[in-house]
Amino acid sequence: MTAAAVEILLVEDNPADVRLTREALREGAGGLRHRLHVVEDGVQALAFLRREAGYWEVPRPDLILLDLNLPRKDGREVLQEIKADPELRSIPVVVLTTSRSEEDVLRSYQLHANCYVTKPVDLDQFLEVVRRIEAFWLGVARLPSP
Amino acid sequence: MAQGPASRQETRAPEPAALEDVQRLAPVLDILPDAILIARADGCIVLANQRAEALFGYPPGGLLGHSVEELVPARYRQAHVAHRAGYHRRPQVRLMGERRELWALRADGSEFPAEISLSPLEGGRLVVSAVRDVSERRRIQEALERRTQELARSNAELEQFAYVASHDLQEPLRMVASYAQLLERRYGERLDEDAREFIRYMVEGARRMRDLINDLLDYSRVGRRGRPFARVALDRVLEEVLAALEPAVTETGARITWDPLPELWADEAQMRQLFQNLLSNAIKFRGQEPPRVHVGARREGPGWRISVEDNGIGIDPQYAERIFLLFQRLHTQREYPGTGIGLAICKKIVERHGGRIWVDTQRRYGAAFHLVLPERPPEPAEEAVP
Repeated sequence: MTAAAVEILLVEDNPADVRLTREALREGAGGLRHRLHVVEDGVQALAFLRREAGYWEVPRPDLILLDLNLPRKDGREVLQEIKADPELRSIPVVVLTTSRSEEDVLRSYQLHANCYVTKPVDLDQFLEVVRRIEAFWLGVARLPSP
Repeated sequence: MAQGPASRQETRAPEPAALEDVQRLAPVLDILPDAILIARADGCIVLANQRAEALFGYPPGGLLGHSVEELVPARYRQAHVAHRAGYHRRPQVRLMGERRELWALRADGSEFPAEISLSPLEGGRLVVSAVRDVSERRRIQEALERRTQELARSNAELEQFAYVASHDLQEPLRMVASYAQLLERRYGERLDEDAREFIRYMVEGARRMRDLINDLLDYSRVGRRGRPFARVALDRVLEEVLAALEPAVTETGARITWDPLPELWADEAQMRQLFQNLLSNAIKFRGQEPPRVHVGARREGPGWRISVEDNGIGIDPQYAERIFLLFQRLHTQREYPGTGIGLAICKKIVERHGGRIWVDTQRRYGAAFHLVLPERPPEPAEEAVP
């Protein structure tokens, strides 16, 4: 990774959860500069990614953190549309959800999620999870240039 | 009204001698549990046993000379005449009403579902009908179908519940726990000891609820996510479980012994969970002495009896049933932490395998769990429900 800020798109409807992820990223940021963009539902997520109305100026994210249960268009549909879109499918999508359901895990990978992570109830574990996501996807993994 | 005896066509009437032969059978027919009717090709009843008279509500001798069509509800009579004619063209033993609904008519006008078998007599000049009232069977069948539908619905509800528990309940729980922890982390030094204690209770409560939800999910998974049965060597299962329990065994100085264990048809992952739960209980509920646990096995009937005995604190016989219920605990969290799911899961696993599990209430020390598992259980039914 270069010194340029890493753009992360978080698709999450619960403001408390958004704040927690923000805090985790702030605490965990292992020297990486990042910018967190937040949208609250699936429709907004796709509008952001396609730079449609209201999102003309947004950058292309380097990583998407996607919750599954969202208003209007849920995470599974968003995932499906991202992976069906030649312009978007190369962006890694990390499904970050509370669901431990095996159905959700399997379905997410069938829809080509790059990784499925269950959010732990415990704060320390959650911080650790976010730190590792960041370390792996933004530090270890080599991503396509935008 | 029915076509009575007047509509008879006596083209193939039986010989009078043959009829007498048949009538001599009457006392024999009277002891049969089924209603027996003997009719001529034209449908005229020449013999009816007592059961037939009782079933159709006729006085003794009251069916003689009537047409069999009188025993059929008016809406089916036309069709019945045609069937009867068809039968006389190709008389053979057969069963009516097995696949389609057949209704019979009593003297008082009431109807009952019937199963009727037919057999030609005297070269087809006479027909014997055995009539059985299947109301009870029909009622049981309908009750069974209703139950099956209810079961399918409650299974679907359970699935829905499991999902809600795994996601929708965890989410707010996570918020409570995480923010309480964040509060402590960021502001702990500015808070006094009381405030920190309150936060600790919040976090503990949330963690405990998380454990309960996760256990509930595991419990619901025993039925929903079970795998088909395959041949499982319990020896190997036990070795794996012992390996997993190694830290606890070392820490407590436990000594675990076992008989040679059998191979049987089972869900391997669930067998592992079963032994894991029983053995970890045996170690956990220890007394002053280091735990000693023995896993026994012997043939019993068409299956195996497995026992897990320990020298621990034992179980008060009055709780012998209760310990297998969900979230039932006999000790405080401080004495022995846990949610109280382990034995409930054991019971569900054993029952899914067509076996049973119980605790020995006669022992004077320690606890002994016994389970009987069939060598080859029937495939569990719950997965068949869509």
